[in-house]
Amino acid sequence: MSNVKCAWLLCAAALLVSGAVTACRSSSAKASNSAAGLQPAPDVTFKNLEGADVPLASLKGKVVLVNFWATWCDPCRSEIPALIGLQDKFASKGFTMLGASMDEDGVKAVDPFIHTTQFNVAGHQRTMDYPIVLGTDAITDKFGGLLGMPTSYLISRDGKIVKKYIGVVDERQVIKDVESQL
Amino acid sequence: MKTQVRFVAALCALGVTCAFVGRLAARAQETAMPQSAASVVKTNVYTSLDPVPRGKEFQVAVVVNIASGYHMNSHKPLDTYLIPTTLTPQLPAGITLVDTIYPAGKNLTFPFSPDKPLNVYTQSVTLRLKLTAGDAAALGDATIPITLRYQACNNSACLPPVKVPVNAAIKVAASDAKAKPVHPEIFAASSAK
Repeated sequence: MSNVKCAWLLCAAALLVSGAVTACRSSSAKASNSAAGLQPAPDVTFKNLEGADVPLASLKGKVVLVNFWATWCDPCRSEIPALIGLQDKFASKGFTMLGASMDEDGVKAVDPFIHTTQFNVAGHQRTMDYPIVLGTDAITDKFGGLLGMPTSYLISRDGKIVKKYIGVVDERQVIKDVESQL
Repeated sequence: MKTQVRFVAALCALGVTCAFVGRLAARAQETAMPQSAASVVKTNVYTSLDPVPRGKEFQVAVVVNIASGYHMNSHKPLDTYLIPTTLTPQLPAGITLVDTIYPAGKNLTFPFSPDKPLNVYTQSVTLRLKLTAGDAAALGDATIPITLRYQACNNSACLPPVKVPVNAAIKVAASDAKAKPVHPEIFAASSAK
């Protein structure tokens, strides 16, 4: 084989490999992305349903999944059983869910919802019993803006944003992602 | 020789394609959502008569074109917690609202609700206001400001509810003025629904 042909073949192989690597990286979870360069979670303070401040920084030391949702959002409702399951599975290992409601009516809409709406979690009727706070546009702006709901952010123990999920989370993937941070 | 060159070229093309697809996939989640809830629909407003004689009933149609891949709740969603599509006019003096006509939505299922259908509008929907111009309506050009409120979703996420302002332009004339029906393609089709 001539040198020219060899060079062509090497070039093609390199492109193929780089393409495949890029494709794999983009389609798989990035929860293990612990290298330098991760964005720190923004310095935001939520209000809980009793009106008390809940600074996100107060959860440092825990792995947190901040989930922006709303009572009128069907895709958000559809992932709540998985999120309850996450809290059940990992709360004792230093994980917490933080559901941030974006309902315009705030407590008036959210409080009855979380106490009365039942979700089927592994065959059991459950309410949304993980920590719930109220989100605001100012808070979502600090996360870079909210394009749709649900949108979730996985935050590491040291307060870095490990992964962003737009839309309904893939339950198996988010379990893997959380496990990788614990 | 030619075959080898073709093979190498094909490999190169495949590599470039893989790299391109990879980058696209990396950005797909971000770009799947629009920059704002208001950008999901485009509206066109039509009036049924030109001019509108005092004492005569006329219609205003708001044709809502919904971006591909999106749906919005119909005016009568199947669950009370869902935000319905509404059309609310701010009526100038002398103009009265007779009725607001919302077409029925379609019952469709989505990946996030595979077992429970939602009643939604997709693609294009025409919402109509039936109005009359009374004696108190000022003669000449007038604008009827209308607020379209909707809440849209795609197959995996929802956008916040949004209020989009639209304007209907009318020309009010004396009661004996001859009214010419306009946009029959809109109003004849809507009436048939």
